[in-house]
Amino acid sequence: MAVSWRSWLANEGVKHLCLLIWLSLNVLLFWKTFLLYNQGPEYHYLHQMLGDTVYSSRGYTVGPCCLSILHIIVCICKSQTPNPSLAHSSLPWQPQVCFLSLGLCLSRASASVLNLNCSLILLPMCRMLLAYLRGSQKVPSRRTRRLLDKSRTFHTTCGVTICIFSGVHVAAHLVNALNFSVNYHEDFVELNAARYRDEDPRKLLFTTVPGLTGVCMVLVLFLMITASTYAIRVSNYDIFWYTHNLFLVFYMLLMLHVSGGLLKYQTNLDTHPPGCINLNGTRYQNIHLPEYLSEHFHESFPGGFSKPDELTQNTFVKICMEEPRFQANFPQTWLWISGPLCLYCAERLYRCIRSNKPVTIISVISHPSDVMEIRMVKENFKARPGQYIVLHCPSVSALENHPFTLTMCPTETKATFGVHLKIVGDWTERFRDLLLPPSSQDSEILPFIQSRNYPKLYIDGPFGSPFEDSLNYEVSLCVAGGIGVTPFASILNTLLDDWKPYRLRRLYFIWVCRDIQSFRWFADLLCVLYNKFWQENRPDYVNIQLYLSQTDGLQKIIGEKYQALNSRLFIGRPRWKLLFNEIAKYNRGKTVGVFCCGPNSISKTLHKLSNQNNSYGTRFEYNKESFS
Amino acid sequence: MGQIEWAMWANEQALASGLILITGGIVATAGQFAQWYLGAYSIAAGVLICLLEYPRGKRSKGSTMERCGQKYLTRAVKVFGPLTSNYYIRAFLHLGLSVPAGFLLATILGTACLAIASSIYLLAAIHGEHWTPIETKPKERPQVGGTIKQPPSNPPPRPPAEARKKPSEEEVAGVPGGGPQENPMPVTDEVV
Repeated sequence: MAVSWRSWLANEGVKHLCLLIWLSLNVLLFWKTFLLYNQGPEYHYLHQMLGDTVYSSRGYTVGPCCLSILHIIVCICKSQTPNPSLAHSSLPWQPQVCFLSLGLCLSRASASVLNLNCSLILLPMCRMLLAYLRGSQKVPSRRTRRLLDKSRTFHTTCGVTICIFSGVHVAAHLVNALNFSVNYHEDFVELNAARYRDEDPRKLLFTTVPGLTGVCMVLVLFLMITASTYAIRVSNYDIFWYTHNLFLVFYMLLMLHVSGGLLKYQTNLDTHPPGCINLNGTRYQNIHLPEYLSEHFHESFPGGFSKPDELTQNTFVKICMEEPRFQANFPQTWLWISGPLCLYCAERLYRCIRSNKPVTIISVISHPSDVMEIRMVKENFKARPGQYIVLHCPSVSALENHPFTLTMCPTETKATFGVHLKIVGDWTERFRDLLLPPSSQDSEILPFIQSRNYPKLYIDGPFGSPFEDSLNYEVSLCVAGGIGVTPFASILNTLLDDWKPYRLRRLYFIWVCRDIQSFRWFADLLCVLYNKFWQENRPDYVNIQLYLSQTDGLQKIIGEKYQALNSRLFIGRPRWKLLFNEIAKYNRGKTVGVFCCGPNSISKTLHKLSNQNNSYGTRFEYNKESFS
Repeated sequence: MGQIEWAMWANEQALASGLILITGGIVATAGQFAQWYLGAYSIAAGVLICLLEYPRGKRSKGSTMERCGQKYLTRAVKVFGPLTSNYYIRAFLHLGLSVPAGFLLATILGTACLAIASSIYLLAAIHGEHWTPIETKPKERPQVGGTIKQPPSNPPPRPPAEARKKPSEEEVAGVPGGGPQENPMPVTDEVV
């Protein structure tokens, strides 16, 4: 079926709009800074020093061949605007001297884009702030809340942009270093970063503060980027986590980098307009080829400087009152990054202080198929259904933190909350061995005696996730794959407690598992919920469908006492198209929230089906969490 | 930090450094810097490193994601045997390749990045890792009828094998003797 534009707009529109706004901000910043350094009079001398001389007379250009087209374009643009310092209209063949300093302009323009992105990249990582925005009434629109789901994607986009523009910035500055050393001029000692003519540019790179900090920043960025690829995150998350924490070093180096003040602007433009003639003989016309132009100059004006009126009339050149003075720019980067950096550091500090108190583990339960449930209490801990926490156990590993979704949230009557952990990987294995000694791993509930020997456990959070919104739709479709059922378990627990305060009136719950024993993790919960709704005469509130995708076992029922679930158990994979059609037919004209926590293949199918049209006028809004 | 596999990270770094070297080399030769021949060298070195590092090695635990189209290069890299599978050799090769590029301004960063990659390879080699090619297993065609040796000799309903005493003498029309199935009335073949 064709993609419905209304559905596509509802699902993808706001996300793409934000991307467009961000992109246009970047382009605007780049273009503005490029033009400032290209045409601004206060950068005239700097521009000449770092530029390549270009003579263009009706298209004749001299310069590095690979940049000649750009030279021509810039020269043509410049020739439209009369610029007194550049036009020599009295000379017979009317050359136009252009200075194109790609190195200067590109480096400054990319630096301003880097400023923007380095400040924006920290904001999606302030998870407490985002969780607060998600839950508060200050963000009433569901559309804006769904933007918060894309925070990790935005972070990655800014990261890639930083990477690309750092490359441009470094290349442009290397060209600048070369030009600084080649175009050393005695009249402009303070403008030049080199100390003498033809100083080795590599020395410039390693002995100046901006150069050295720049090289270190490139190496830190290199380490961070190579460890952030998808393959590394999936296989060795530790490397990614530890290298990514080097961002603090990167920001410290960045603050030092901009304090160097190598590129200066001219402060006394009124008393010394660029390109003016100093009557003492020093020529400020151009730095590159004073010999060439001075010849032609003397030819046209054989009387030398004795005709000041003709001078000003024909060439619009003014007379200087004093020497040019230069000053370094105020480091704008400090203004850009101080806000987000302080916000992020404040948040980390707050999280650190809050998670300093350990939790009290009440019970540890072992479930089939390698799943362990931990129930605990902590004072002043509040969480909404669908949120997740990060566990830290120093006895298992001093540095590692792992996120787990809450399967049971604390309520007003009961302060216990819990998580279900699947044992995959070394951290969870060691954690299980500490909590459940191997001898009693087969039994379901641990005897009370063991509770005194539990290791200290710290939690951080709770952090928000898109699944919190499932209670805010009138109809929700929740699809879980395997252990991905955990966010929906907390929703079901909340409904068990009290369903009336929420907007949700119908929940379709689809759970796909490979192993039939996995259903026993929440079989009790589902049966109790089902019975409760039957008692309250709302049997169609929760519609449960369980799917067993791999059928090599002979066992076809979950357990004798779970009759309600056995009759809702299907063998084989769900047929999503038929399911969507059925939901659309029974909920005409309504907006259905689709939530998926499972493998990528299911997620992609559901996303595609949510964007498609149906003949009942039902709209499906797709909400997804990105994990890795 | 129990079982980190350093080789995978070193592989990503070396691939990235190879690309940085190629870019720096292109800038140096096109811009006609002094000593531009070093730029040409770094392009060649970058290409060699990219070809060597493109096929990802197999992880010791778990499945490895292949890079797209890497199986052709895997075959080529496998040919060199211990030269490419030993990470000590790779570490020193990268260190050696990076040194000449350090003399040119445009490629100096490529040198630094390649040196870091070579040190991580050394770390991986000390941890005892080595490069194993990712082999695609030939797809096993499901053998249709591989376990069927002989067609069944009894018509249905067939009792289990241990109950069949004389399978070769049973006939459709005959009364089955000795089997657990006892027909209440004699069964005859209706064929005339």
